Amino acid sequence: MKKTKLGEFEELVLLAVAALQQEAYGVEIKRELESRLKEKLSVGSIQSALKRMEEKGFLTSEFGEATQKRGGKRKRIYATTSYAHKVLKEMKDIRAGLWEAMPVLAHELKLI
Amino acid sequence: MSGYADIHPPEWPLKFLRFFLNPKYLEEIEGDLEEIFQENIERYSPGKARRLYAYETLKLIRPNLLKKFMQPANFNHYPMYKNYIKIAWRNLLKKKAYSFINISGLGLGIASCFLIFLFVQHELSYDNYHENGERIYRITHGSRSTGDAAKDAKANPFWVWGNAPVGPALKDYFPEIDKIVQFSGRSDILLTHGDKTYQEDGVFFMDSTAFDVFNWKFITGDARTALAAPYSIVLTQSAAKKYFGDEEAYGKILKGSESSGRSAAGDYVVTGVIEDIPNNSHFHFNVLISLNTFRKSRPEIFENWGYVDFYTYFLGNEQFNERSFQQKIPDFITKNIGDSDSKYTIALESLKDVYLRTNAHRQPGETGSLSNIYIFSIIGLFILIIAMINFMNLSTARSMERAKEVGIRKSIGAAQGSLVLQFLGESILIVFLAMLLAAGVVVVALPFMSGLTGKEFTLTPLLTWQAPLLAFALIIIIGILAGFYPAFVLSGFKPVAVLKGIMHNSGGGGYLRRALVVFQFSLSIALITGTIIVYTQMDHLQNRDLGFDKEQMLIVDYNYDEIVNYYSESLKNTLEASQAISSVAFSRSVPGSYFPNAGTTIENADGEMKMMVQPIFQVGIDFVNHFNLELVAGRSYSRLYPSDSTSALVLNEAAAKQYGYTNPADIVGKKFDQWGRKGEVIGVVKDFNYISLHRNIEPLTLPFDPYSSRYMSVKINPENMDKTIKEVNEVWSKLVPHRPFLYSFLDNDFNQQYKSDLMFKQLFTVFACLAIFIACLGLLGLATYTAELRTKEIGIRKVLGADMRTIILLLSSDFIKLVLIAIIIAIPVSWYVMKEWLAGFAYRMEMQAWIFVVAGLIAVLIAGFTISFQSIKSAVMNPVSSLRNE
Repeated sequence: MKKTKLGEFEELVLLAVAALQQEAYGVEIKRELESRLKEKLSVGSIQSALKRMEEKGFLTSEFGEATQKRGGKRKRIYATTSYAHKVLKEMKDIRAGLWEAMPVLAHELKLI
Repeated sequence: MSGYADIHPPEWPLKFLRFFLNPKYLEEIEGDLEEIFQENIERYSPGKARRLYAYETLKLIRPNLLKKFMQPANFNHYPMYKNYIKIAWRNLLKKKAYSFINISGLGLGIASCFLIFLFVQHELSYDNYHENGERIYRITHGSRSTGDAAKDAKANPFWVWGNAPVGPALKDYFPEIDKIVQFSGRSDILLTHGDKTYQEDGVFFMDSTAFDVFNWKFITGDARTALAAPYSIVLTQSAAKKYFGDEEAYGKILKGSESSGRSAAGDYVVTGVIEDIPNNSHFHFNVLISLNTFRKSRPEIFENWGYVDFYTYFLGNEQFNERSFQQKIPDFITKNIGDSDSKYTIALESLKDVYLRTNAHRQPGETGSLSNIYIFSIIGLFILIIAMINFMNLSTARSMERAKEVGIRKSIGAAQGSLVLQFLGESILIVFLAMLLAAGVVVVALPFMSGLTGKEFTLTPLLTWQAPLLAFALIIIIGILAGFYPAFVLSGFKPVAVLKGIMHNSGGGGYLRRALVVFQFSLSIALITGTIIVYTQMDHLQNRDLGFDKEQMLIVDYNYDEIVNYYSESLKNTLEASQAISSVAFSRSVPGSYFPNAGTTIENADGEMKMMVQPIFQVGIDFVNHFNLELVAGRSYSRLYPSDSTSALVLNEAAAKQYGYTNPADIVGKKFDQWGRKGEVIGVVKDFNYISLHRNIEPLTLPFDPYSSRYMSVKINPENMDKTIKEVNEVWSKLVPHRPFLYSFLDNDFNQQYKSDLMFKQLFTVFACLAIFIACLGLLGLATYTAELRTKEIGIRKVLGADMRTIILLLSSDFIKLVLIAIIIAIPVSWYVMKEWLAGFAYRMEMQAWIFVVAGLIAVLIAGFTISFQSIKSAVMNPVSSLRNE
């Protein structure tokens, strides 16, 4: 991880982009996350996270097609960089490692 | 879906969005919002969809999505400016000697300007504390000869001091006069409280309207009534402290002596204490006594248009108009003075002119000099210019050092404009540092300045909210003035030429540089010449034979004390018995002090009895011998002629001439009539300078009247003066113990008249020295630089056998030539200017050639000495070290 800072929400957005592939543009990402998180998200929060991560080098973007539904405005399709994949993988491994390190007893104790 | 296409998102959130959102993101986000809007229309009502749209828009206000409002959108100059500052700083540190010369020179220059500014400000601030100052005027008195007031005043100076009845007459005649205040001439009075007795010499008898006209602040007492009743007295704070310490002075009694010719002795009631009179007042006092005290003692004077002892000031009301007042003066005079032969007239002076722009004589206090203000302002400017020239010369001379930098900057795309800005910025940085230095210098030098001028200076005029702005503006202006030319020279280099290395060291700039050095040195030499002339003239004034003995002359001032005059014979006999005292005399006046004027009728050369006015010194019997005055005709008063005490008169040569006698012997034996006394002129003394040497000797009469004396003068032997003074004091306290023994020396008293000239001399010297010092700093810098450039040349010359002398000459001759040219320019200029200055003295030194020779020599020596440092250093340098680099 080192210097890279990836917030919790940013990580979710990044994962959504990775999952949506060619469909990864603002509204679709919002829809995907809303359905998974089961809560309303604002365009502002999604967009600001996207721009931040683009600046940090986790994402690249390019304009996609324009639809009538969008008032003739083009979509911006986001794609994850290999660096993002590396960081996501690292985070997953760290989490997995921590899960494994958690003693079973403690887990059960917590259940009581 | 297409069914909803005619429903659009609301207008204003969209406009707002376009306003704040970073344009890079606009298309994408606008599209997103529209897509969501369309979905929401399917799900909710159009209204709710619109509301949601607006809500989403507001939630888009996030820092990283905003337009860059604060920064120019295109390009960030910050690193470039940072680089400029870094380079400027490095240059300062790299060439410490040049930076020192520049900063200290400019710093001293700015500091001198500030100090001179404070001085000028102080001179201009006189009497500006009176609230109604612009409506306060005073009357001057004079005689009309041509009908044109301005011409009259020039031919025959008007007096501020005049008669009393003019005051009430003015008030009656001119409705536009609001309040009149009259006060007596400066008086002396002995005041006693308990065991404390002091002779107060700053006393005026003043009308009760004084505080309506002038703004002197009361601490205790009522301004309206304080000076109403006879024998009421108002003290300044420091006078009150002197008599009463910390006690309340109000309502206390001060025993006052007689004030000769003005009031009888009596007990004065303190009716008020006022703050000390501000330093910048054109007259000062410690004590005010009600004018009614004077009126009670001598009421007849207040009706007499011929008796001169009053100053008349008034406050005009809103309708007051100077011109219409002046037009009405002739009518006013005719109405009040019935006599058509009388030439008496009055003139008007505004309060704002009374300190600097008055020509009238007999002022109530000191006056300033407008020409001094001009002279010092010009000197201040000169010093600053000299310092700026240093900066220009050093920057252009060293331009080669920066040439490569300029070449590189230009080849990577710097425009000349931005380079000019860079170099101007550098000069502004240097001026800023100089300003800091100047602030320090001003703070340190201010007490000295006060000591030099005898005036209190404070930093208050500089400590206002405008001050930082002003300082900032000054930094910019001086920076631009000094840096303008170097910036253009430096930024004008052609990059190709510079980088190829085919630049010669600014040949054209060399001429300008030389011209500037010549200019600098011309100014300095003019200032040196001025200093020498001021010194010689002051020396001339102080050492001139005045025609009377002023050395070892002890003067005791007893202020016309009748008892002392009664004892004068025994004082004289007792004192003259002493070995250490050669003679003692009593007189109403001594040279250099106050004297009245009298109208004297004497038979003139044509045999008519003619009345003329001239100063009068009432003297004791042996005044003439005592002061060693030379008799040119007739005899002096003598005990052998008892009638001398009532019917004899001695006068001076000028007076004899006044009555038309070219040969003074002819006036002896002629009839005279003066102040109710008739008799014959018995003798004529040679003219002696009883007033300052600014003025010519005027006619003077010396009537014999021992009982109007004010001063005892004691001529003592130069050995053991302290012991002799003690001896005189003992005799004094034995015979007239009630009167304090106040003594001074005649030569000191007489030289008091040159106080302002001495101040001028000292200030002038200080600033002239500063100017030449700064010019030399610049010369040193230039010499150092030229020597550096010629290191190799000198090395080669030495190897080929040049000796030290040749090399020193080689390096110095260039500059010495410039100084010689400067001398040629400076001499006529300073000759002319100093001639004007000397015109202010009736007795002036000759401006002889030696003065200019000496000034030139001093300049050459100072310049030569300055350069020699560097040239000797280069001359003794081992050629190996200068040549091995190649």
